[in-house]
Amino acid sequence: MAARARILYIEDDAEIGAWLADDLVRRGYEVTWLQSGEKAEEHAGAADVAVLDVMLPGLDGFSVGRRLKKRRPELPILMLSARTAVEDKLHGLGFADDYVTKPFHPDELAARLEVLLRRSGQGGEDAVLIGHLEVRPRELTVTDSRSGTEIALTPKQLQILLYLLRHAGRILTKEQIYEAVWGEPYMEGDKTVMVHIRYLRERIELDPAQPRIVETVRGIGYRVKP
Amino acid sequence: MKRLFGAARRPSLLVRYLLIIVSALVVLPVALLMVGTGSVVISGLVSPKERDNPYADTSRLIEEWHREAASLRHADPETIVRSLESWHSRYPRSSVFWVDGGSRLRASLPFNEDLPRVWSSVYTVDFMKEAVNGTKYSVVAFIGKDGEQGFMAMQVPRYLTLPYGQRLGMLGGTAYTAGAIVLLGLFLTVSLLFFNRIRKRLVRLQAAMEQPSGSGLPLPVEVSGADEVGRLEESFNGMIRELEAGRRREAEEESLRRELVARLSHDLRTPLTVVRSHAYSLEREPLSDQGRRSVALIGGKLDYLSQLIENLFSYSLLSAGKYAYRPEKTDIVRLARTQLAAWYPAFEQAGMELEPELPDAPVYWHTDPHWLERVLDNLLQNALRHAASGGWTAVRIVGDGGGRLLIEDKGPGLGGDSPNKGSGLGLSIVQLMLKEMGLRKEVSSGEGGTTVAVRPEQDTV
Repeated sequence: MAARARILYIEDDAEIGAWLADDLVRRGYEVTWLQSGEKAEEHAGAADVAVLDVMLPGLDGFSVGRRLKKRRPELPILMLSARTAVEDKLHGLGFADDYVTKPFHPDELAARLEVLLRRSGQGGEDAVLIGHLEVRPRELTVTDSRSGTEIALTPKQLQILLYLLRHAGRILTKEQIYEAVWGEPYMEGDKTVMVHIRYLRERIELDPAQPRIVETVRGIGYRVKP
Repeated sequence: MKRLFGAARRPSLLVRYLLIIVSALVVLPVALLMVGTGSVVISGLVSPKERDNPYADTSRLIEEWHREAASLRHADPETIVRSLESWHSRYPRSSVFWVDGGSRLRASLPFNEDLPRVWSSVYTVDFMKEAVNGTKYSVVAFIGKDGEQGFMAMQVPRYLTLPYGQRLGMLGGTAYTAGAIVLLGLFLTVSLLFFNRIRKRLVRLQAAMEQPSGSGLPLPVEVSGADEVGRLEESFNGMIRELEAGRRREAEEESLRRELVARLSHDLRTPLTVVRSHAYSLEREPLSDQGRRSVALIGGKLDYLSQLIENLFSYSLLSAGKYAYRPEKTDIVRLARTQLAAWYPAFEQAGMELEPELPDAPVYWHTDPHWLERVLDNLLQNALRHAASGGWTAVRIVGDGGGRLLIEDKGPGLGGDSPNKGSGLGLSIVQLMLKEMGLRKEVSSGEGGTTVAVRPEQDTV
């Protein structure tokens, strides 16, 4: 990691707050923990990612989140909450970039934070090593780390690979991939994604018949394991 | 007229109806009388003086015609014709002719071709008969003695011989009838307009009632007056206001209740999260095997407890009907695939095979996608928790017959002994949700495993 990523963490419960802040610091983040949302905006400028608890005294997490987004639209926000309270609200509001339900495993939270940081291009790594590949999302290059030669990909192939990498560990359906990369609603029966992934594998996999980087989850979708 | 009534406060329908009836009973006869009088007066005004009509005095005409005939005794034909010409110039609207002793037509002024050249006795008798009551007033006079020079006849249209008053009287009768028809027509038109306006306003109100706005309630109507229909419209608007207020109250109560549930859920979850976090911390400590087993057990039970809390709140919201259901056209294949993508790692971690069998073509249900996600979540969670021993779960969608969603496992079955047997709250939630969604669940369970099939009730596709 080039620089330590800064996390703005807002949690009213002292015990959880202290424990998670401690855990995150141990994981190598710089953590600013606030017990209420009132001063969140003052600290927002210096943060790379915000972690908000939905239930906060005074301003609730949603209002704090909306304010932060208004001030810094590029700041990724992760909400912590119980599912009952938020599921449809989150579907409706859509300002949050991700959410984790309580109680959560700290490893899972850390993994989601990494994904958010990588997606926003702040903190995170400049280069992602995956198998024998070295992917530089900012420079849009993919190189074979063994030989150092750049692998030429079509823009769509690169976009698909980067999209899978941004959501590393998650299985993405062909509909999700199509809509994210092509920016159009998926049409039923479309084989475009399948075809593009086949060509992508021919370029990046050591053995396209036994793909190790872009994994097929039969009947569901594709996954790049982190 | 509508504007006129609208400008003033619209009087009661009853009053207006009575007005029309009263005008029919009282005003109509009076008006008819006035038409009659009016026509007489007007005809009196327009009629010229009696003496201007030279044809009205028939006795003088007869006397003059006979004198004329007498004076022509032994006169030669030219004289007779001249005399007839001079008569015709004095009385231009009369016609005259002369038939001589030989029954021959000698002169006719103005020339009338209907008259025969030779007068038979039969024709003569017919002519005399016609002369008495026909449309023409006729005077016949013999020329000379014994009629050896024949006869001359003078004819005037009969109406000319009548006095003006009598002639206009007939005209007046016609005017009176026309006036009466116009008045009756007016009465009919007014009552029809009256009825039609009421009808239009009622139809408008009905249309407003049947046309719900975005909120599902009809929009208020513009009040069109102070009469009974207007009051009906006001009541209708009042009713809508009441309903809207009711809806608002309901929505407020719902949001209060949700907030309460959310707070309670949060309050219960907070200590749970604290305990969980310390269990994670413990995991990192050097522990004996017994210690690690205990921590793992604490962790597993904590996860289960938090799921239970989650389900408990969901159940309370659902059973109170406070969970908004918003159905839309939903591709269940796509939805299932997305859900399976989310669940796959959990099954992977538990060492279970998750086998999807989804068709290429979409299958559409009219349902709330979030509800269906929730149902699928609970069913998959159930399979994960109770069918781990089978090591296999399949999710299948069959496209035909409205579509069927199947979740199969090789667990010990519903009657079997699951190491994680619980209250079944998750399945109760599924049951409640499916009922609301118009979906039916069929379960076949045995020792070899369980199959849960979800399909629409007949009429929801």
